[in-house]
Amino acid sequence: MTVLAAQELPAHLRASLPPELRGIRRDRVRLLVVDRGAGRVEHRRFDDLLTLLGPGDLLVVNSSRTLPAAVPAVRANGTRVQLRACVRRNDSWDVLSVGIEAPHANLPLTPGETLRAGGAPLGRVVGRRIDIPFLWRIDLAPGTGINTIASLGEPIRYSYVPTPVALDRYQTVYATRPGSAEPPSAGRPFSWELLLALGDRGVGLADVVLHTGLSSYQDDEFDLEHRLYEEWFEVDDEAVAQVARARRVVAVGTTVVRALETAGESGPLRAARGWTDLRISPTTAIRHADAMITGLHEPQASHWELLEAFVDAPLLRRAYDEARERGYLWHEFGDAMLIL
Amino acid sequence: MELRGSVALLTGGSKGLGRATALALAREGAALALCARGPGELERVAADAKELGAEALTVVADLRSERDIERLVVLTLDRFGRVDILMNNASELGPTPLPFLADYVPSAFDDVLRVNLVAPFRLTQSLIGGMLQRGRGVIMNVSSDVSVTGYPGWGAYAVSKAALDGLTRTWAAELEGTGVRIHAVDPGDMDTAMHRAAAPEDDPAGLLDPATSARAFIRVVQDDSLPSGRMRGPDLLAAG
Repeated sequence: MTVLAAQELPAHLRASLPPELRGIRRDRVRLLVVDRGAGRVEHRRFDDLLTLLGPGDLLVVNSSRTLPAAVPAVRANGTRVQLRACVRRNDSWDVLSVGIEAPHANLPLTPGETLRAGGAPLGRVVGRRIDIPFLWRIDLAPGTGINTIASLGEPIRYSYVPTPVALDRYQTVYATRPGSAEPPSAGRPFSWELLLALGDRGVGLADVVLHTGLSSYQDDEFDLEHRLYEEWFEVDDEAVAQVARARRVVAVGTTVVRALETAGESGPLRAARGWTDLRISPTTAIRHADAMITGLHEPQASHWELLEAFVDAPLLRRAYDEARERGYLWHEFGDAMLIL
Repeated sequence: MELRGSVALLTGGSKGLGRATALALAREGAALALCARGPGELERVAADAKELGAEALTVVADLRSERDIERLVVLTLDRFGRVDILMNNASELGPTPLPFLADYVPSAFDDVLRVNLVAPFRLTQSLIGGMLQRGRGVIMNVSSDVSVTGYPGWGAYAVSKAALDGLTRTWAAELEGTGVRIHAVDPGDMDTAMHRAAAPEDDPAGLLDPATSARAFIRVVQDDSLPSGRMRGPDLLAAG
């Protein structure tokens, strides 16, 4: 399909604040419903899920909790940098190193140099990743790691959110497994009031984990290549059993689709955990999700390719055109889409 | 709730009732996340819990700080993946000797509410998602008789505990039928450093040993037939 260039999205359609700070409850954002069977696009409100879903439906959410992954650090030469920690292992991070002020341009590090954060040694720069040269591997000093992120970090914020927003505004209400660099935001509109009411209607709730990485390397040209790197995922036995019992599996977010399709890559869905760099293309047969809730995002290829695995391109294009015409809001604090 | 294999987060875990309940939970096979403002006594409690065979994580945190509350949540969930039992025990008494409200320092009033009321709200909100998802969890807010009776000098502490009771009531109504229980538990007057600071004239012989009060909290966790809401520790113990 014709992919819209990012700059074609008017600025006023980029949600710059969470809905609660725009006077709207989180569960009352707009919901664009794409009914594949009927070839129809409808315009509803998010809490209309109470009538759109019913007994036997299973919502599968990503319970990953967003970390304040932008950590201020100081280089060996005294320069201040912001490190965006994305791939986190026990004793090392892969980070994007950018300037501390907008537009947060890449600031290359030097292999061998020691970085400090919060007045203490953070770790030693090992070198660049070969596949994604904007990412630097750091061997962490003892006692750093997630405690440093929690102590010093701020949420990663892009230019369409001009003022800092508190970390708790980024979280979904079911975020329980710390690890995402950016919010898995498709489920952000859910409130517990809505989830419990859906439960009363016989809609099940299962959770998987996929800790998201970065959506931008702060380099327009490289970003267009949409390279995926490994992200940590977990699908447990209980989720597998719930999916097996469900009449219809509604994946909440592309991260959930990727976790399920990775865990069930070779056939039946199985409990699995590990790293995934699974790329879902328009020709991928989605085996473990029947419907999907997602946000509206810039037409990055990886996001659109995955949507096209669900929806034929002309219907998807019509849905997005209508969303634009009706002033739907994009990005993590914006409106939502349900693909049935 | 079965304690063996469960994960409990206790604030104010380094002394008094927090320490006693932590060790009682450890004896029953629960894993512990403990927080306090200073490391010394906290590490000793963790060492004692480990001797009893429990896993124990310690986090030095100041509950007046939103960042510290989130850091406590993140470190706990990163270590254990979930929390089944939350005991909001940390309490700030306020200035001593206890001043009349007319003489209360406003910034001290604010600190008391932050630790005794806002922190329990934030911690509960951050951890309840996992409990609701599993349909299983117990939250215990440590209350006091000053929440229902006015005594001179108890100022912000009394206000914070009355509000904590109110928070518990509203949450109890919202959690009905979810499998998650929330309780405000008045442990009774205990022989603790806080009580000595508040009422140095009281005879310790007439006060409860925190280890005795801790038994009431263990009972609250274990007895799934208890309805959410406010209760008194001595009543629970008397009922066996």
